Amino acid sequence: MTAHPNRLHESAARLPAGRPRRAAAGGVSPAGLLALALIGLAALALPLVADSYLLHSCIVVLFFAYMATAWNFVCGYVGQLSIGHAMFAGVGGYATVLLFTGLGLSPWLGLPVGGLLAAALSVVVGYPTFRLRGPYFALTTIAFAEMIRIWVENTESVLGIPVNGAAGLTVPLAGESLAALQFNGKAPYYYLIVALLAGALAATWALERSKLGFYLKAIRGDRDAAESLGISPARYQLVALAISAFMTGIGGGFYAQFFRYVNAERLIGVDLSIDMALMSIIGGQGTVFGPLLGAVLLAPLAEITRGTLGGSFLGLHLVVYGIILMLAVLYLPKGLIAPLRAVLARLARRGGAR
Amino acid sequence: MNAPLLDVRGIGKRFGGVHAVRDLSFRLEQGEILALLGPNGAGKTTAFNMIAGFFRPDGGEILFRGRDIARLRPWDICKAGIARTFQLSKPFADLTVVENLMVGGFARSSDTAAIRERAEEIADFLGMGRQADTEVQHLTAFDRRKLELGRALSTRPVLLLMDEVVAGATPAEGQEMVALVRRIRDRGITILIVEHVMKVVMALSERVIVMESGRLIADGAPKDVVSRPEVLKAYFGEQYAAARA
Ligand SMILES: Nc1ncnc2c1ncn2[C@@H]1O[C@H](COP(=O)(O)OP(=O)(O)OP(=O)(O)O)[C@@H](O)[C@H]1O
Ligand SMILES: [Mg+2]
Repeated sequence: MTAHPNRLHESAARLPAGRPRRAAAGGVSPAGLLALALIGLAALALPLVADSYLLHSCIVVLFFAYMATAWNFVCGYVGQLSIGHAMFAGVGGYATVLLFTGLGLSPWLGLPVGGLLAAALSVVVGYPTFRLRGPYFALTTIAFAEMIRIWVENTESVLGIPVNGAAGLTVPLAGESLAALQFNGKAPYYYLIVALLAGALAATWALERSKLGFYLKAIRGDRDAAESLGISPARYQLVALAISAFMTGIGGGFYAQFFRYVNAERLIGVDLSIDMALMSIIGGQGTVFGPLLGAVLLAPLAEITRGTLGGSFLGLHLVVYGIILMLAVLYLPKGLIAPLRAVLARLARRGGAR
Repeated sequence: MNAPLLDVRGIGKRFGGVHAVRDLSFRLEQGEILALLGPNGAGKTTAFNMIAGFFRPDGGEILFRGRDIARLRPWDICKAGIARTFQLSKPFADLTVVENLMVGGFARSSDTAAIRERAEEIADFLGMGRQADTEVQHLTAFDRRKLELGRALSTRPVLLLMDEVVAGATPAEGQEMVALVRRIRDRGITILIVEHVMKVVMALSERVIVMESGRLIADGAPKDVVSRPEVLKAYFGEQYAAARA
């Protein structure tokens, strides 16, 4: 962060000399912008060089990065743990598929509608629990999510709508169709998830600088003090949760379109909820890029442990996660992004000094 | 005759068997510094918490600018124009000084740049301009107390409630705090201060009220009040008061 010694400030005359002022409020350094632009360009060019397998793997990693970023939007900033965020993905995924099969509604509309339904569910979960202090939010989210998963797994149809129990729903093939959000190649899905992730990161970036972001951080810091400064914790936590659930629901819709299949175990199950939480926490919750970093590191790991060992040792990846989580909490409580940032800041300073 | 800024009428609060505050009434005029005294456990913080909306009184009224605020929640009390500090300071530890001072600004404005500007002004006012970008967890205890005061100011209050702001401070720090509180009053903010340190009370307030076992036992000028037998008794015990009489 560089000081602006000649910045005109109306109260500058009253300031003690040599006071380091912050650079443009919450601004991004030119070097940072350049790095972001380069990463963005590289990401956009990837489908031109990558084969289908690599592209598929990248889509999966970016999907997890998006979901973790959505989780972080509320949990990371307000310091509450949700272990049931997958229920919002489930609502979004099932809604997208059912609206398409039942009403012929294009997934381009199904995604946001699914997101809104997920946000509505989040209000039902959050409204009673945010009034309470203590671990109620974590307990309620996991209880709700498991209830919904078990209900879906044991329900063939409700009010004439086919839910299809544990077998799940497949998306009927429509061939290569933009309107049906179905493509033969992987590249369109890749660009879609890149756009979604960019949107979620931009929303988090804006959150950090907004009233809502300051309020969430204040609630995380001290609830009583926050209340005394004009903040109703229940209200602002609920707003943030609804936005987070909306984004998560859209992620569920993307999942349904990409895999052309949804089932309760994968999309509503506790595994996905834990993935989202741990990627955020290990990468660095309450930061813009922490969850992305966590996903890039952990998602391939999850694939490897699930794929090569998971068949014989169910849940082994959770054991691996647990060990990584313990190490992270012990040695890097602010997540892996903290030391990375320090290194980048040092590099930037050295570059700037030249 | 002007109505008082704050008019507390017969409020009370019980915690199970403990009657922390009973039938407490007092008034606070615009522009004054009123000190609330009393031995440990007298009910000062409880009374304070009822005015600030953290406890709901069992009975009675609290009129602020003529409106009963006794059943409002803390965030609505803040918006009505009352700010408070906590007896044990409660900073947002992982935010910087300026960020701590920005939070309260959103209660009055949504212009982030203007809020940041004002937060920096408050940091300068506290003499903490150099620490503006320091995370609060790295501050000394006294700086945290000052920050707590500044954070309350950031909500642009009409009435400021302060609970033991010099507790644990050195004499020099105590003087600095007294000077700050005076300057806050000079900006037109009315102050209710709970304080144990007599020197501070004498230096700041024109009027003091004294509580003991939840009741109000004295109300008057600092010099008169501290020589009254019932006050001496409350502070130093029966025998001391008898010996002085
Ligand atoms: N939340 C609570 N629950 C139960 N009892 C309480 C609570 N808060 C205060 N009390 C009791 O009420 C009485 C008054 O306490 P209070 O904190 O108001 O005293 P105080 O005058 O602020 O004392 P101090 O000078 O030690 O800060 C005490 O007996 C205390 O134990
Ligand atoms: Mg007290």
